[in-house]
Amino acid sequence: MPAVIDKEKCNACGVCVKICPTDVYYGSKPKEIPVVMYPEECWHCNACVHDCPQDAIHLRIALNMQLVYKS
Amino acid sequence: MNDARLNVEQVEADVLCIGGGPAGLCAAIRASEQGAKVVVIDKSHTLRSGDAGMGNDHFMCHIPDVQGELPGFFNKIGKMSQAVTKTFWENAYDLVKLWDSWGIPMKYEGRYEFAGHSIPGYPNFMLHFSGQNTKVKLTKQAKKAGAKIINRVMILDLIHDNGTIAGAIGFDVRNPKLLVFKTKAVILATGKCMRLFPQNTGSLFNTSTSPVNTGDGRAMAYRAGCELTDMELNDRWSGPKYFARNGRGSWTGVFRDPNGIQIDPGNEMPAHFYPELHENYQKSGRGPLYMDLSDISDEDYEYMKHFLIHEANTPILDFFKEEGVDPREHPFEFMTYGLITPGGINYNEKCETPLAGLFAAGDEFMSFYIAGAAVFGSIAGESAAAFAAQAKPLDEKRAQIPVVTAKELLESVLNRTDGATWQEANNAIQQVMADYCGLIRSETLLTAGLEHLRRLKKKVPQVLMAQNQHELMRCVEVLNLFDIGEITFVAARERKETRQYHRRTDFPFENPIIGAQTLAVKKENGQPVPKWIMKA
Ligand SMILES: Cc1cc2nc3c(=O)[nH]c(=O)nc-3n(C[C@H](O)[C@H](O)[C@H](O)COP(=O)(O)OP(=O)(O)OC[C@H]3O[C@@H](n4cnc5c(N)ncnc54)[C@H](O)[C@@H]3O)c2cc1C
Ligand code: SF4
Ligand code: SF4
Repeated sequence: MPAVIDKEKCNACGVCVKICPTDVYYGSKPKEIPVVMYPEECWHCNACVHDCPQDAIHLRIALNMQLVYKS
Repeated sequence: MNDARLNVEQVEADVLCIGGGPAGLCAAIRASEQGAKVVVIDKSHTLRSGDAGMGNDHFMCHIPDVQGELPGFFNKIGKMSQAVTKTFWENAYDLVKLWDSWGIPMKYEGRYEFAGHSIPGYPNFMLHFSGQNTKVKLTKQAKKAGAKIINRVMILDLIHDNGTIAGAIGFDVRNPKLLVFKTKAVILATGKCMRLFPQNTGSLFNTSTSPVNTGDGRAMAYRAGCELTDMELNDRWSGPKYFARNGRGSWTGVFRDPNGIQIDPGNEMPAHFYPELHENYQKSGRGPLYMDLSDISDEDYEYMKHFLIHEANTPILDFFKEEGVDPREHPFEFMTYGLITPGGINYNEKCETPLAGLFAAGDEFMSFYIAGAAVFGSIAGESAAAFAAQAKPLDEKRAQIPVVTAKELLESVLNRTDGATWQEANNAIQQVMADYCGLIRSETLLTAGLEHLRRLKKKVPQVLMAQNQHELMRCVEVLNLFDIGEITFVAARERKETRQYHRRTDFPFENPIIGAQTLAVKKENGQPVPKWIMKA
């Protein structure tokens, strides 16, 4: 799952559900911890990570998107 | 069989902005200021939607006090008419000042700074700005001006009334609702067309620009009778390997081969002006090519990072941090991404289209990117408000409002329990585009590919299925891609020459006579028909 929510930190404010441009959190219920319903549609844009007031979201970069660097 | 039903709701306004990117929001602001009642529709949420959702850092413009006079060459930049180009350079600085007054930082450390994407010997025309929150500020400004914003609604098609465009029909992408917008003028501002060609990055949503921009504006304009131009003149970009993301002009290192030799693409142009460099190195076995930041001073590195953050590249910087790797000590690879579609609705300097009541702006035709979206968005808002002020309200009896057909199509996709997912259909179109209308094109390939595409296109609406409104949105995006794909094939077959990435093996040279003309495609009797027109 690209977007990983820390359930301890999340206060279910709904900001990420409101703004995610690809609606990865579709189906999430108000005042509940969001569900990552469509992880394969995450654009890795970082909007939810940036706008989360609780710093509760971590973006795990999908394996097919990991950068290739020289050791 | 499911039994999904869509309830129908109506919304009335003077001006409808379809798409809430910088173009749609600037249009909404200007039209509202002119006294029009404006509604903006976005299938995401205007705070973070589209290509500019997490920021841009370069704004093309001419500030005479800083750059001096621009050479005549600048009046030829862009692929639209000369009047459009002239209008752009005359207005861009005004938008810089406006955006700055709205809280978008257009200055760096108190001064206008031009840097990045530079061409040796020419004044730099890329203003470096800190645009991470551009969309937040523009959304606030649009609301302040009085525009109403409706998020999470996807527009499907336009409404005709006696030869003018007088609204649109759309659906809620979270709730089972069909919406009919009755307006006096419509502005298309839905951005680019991604997901038509594979991007060679391992998944449908790993795209350098927003994967939810699927040429919807182009497709609905075409279906309404508007011509599209330059659809066969595809382009390519390069960027970080495997993490597809625009921003190549903001990575300020140099490219080196595996032996550490700096690569100079043959003259003094920066290497990112040659997106295929990476693919060519790879193909020749001499690759890969690395972005090497080792010569950058600490100060320049901090400067680069500042603008990469504003250019929506934060996740790439975070990746290195989490790997515990300093990119200055570890060169990383760039790659060449797949084909994209710059062509589209060739709006004029007033943002008019060939259809009365229909206006377009921004990346509906890719030319001046975010600055173009700002300039032409504003002009579209002005033109549409003026049009709406003298237009009559829509005539319910006369207008063609395709509620029944839309409802039938959408409900059939929602109620199907056996069939194709949108991903299956999206992969099918990408496959035929890449193999028959990709980097190798010829009469025989294009003919065979078009035949296959048309067979698929007939089947797709009969087999697509969606479990909910979200998947319905993806299905409709793919239907739009099939229209755009067919148009691209038809245009590619008609252009019997090689130009840029339109490479015909049977016509391998550029034809200078054709260069004076533009190729348009228009719907006639339900089919896309190509037509050559003189360049304006
Ligand atoms: C990472 C990145 C960096 C970039 N950096 C730069 C830069 O530095 N300088 C520069 O000039 N350009 C840059 N660009 C390009 C720039 O962001 C775009 O040119 C600009 O955003 C175009 O504005 P627009 O309003 O035309 O389209 P967009 O900003 O893409 O907005 C289109 C909107 O339409 C909505 N939409 C689409 N279809 C529908 C539909 N059917 N119904 C309802 N709504 C719909 C979308 O949700 C979206 O909000 C960058 C792009 C990316 C992705
Ligand atoms: S924005 Fe953060 S705190 Fe709010 S719901 Fe999302 S994860 Fe939870
Ligand atoms: S990173 Fe962007 S696309 Fe992915 S879940 Fe967060 S907001 Fe949505």
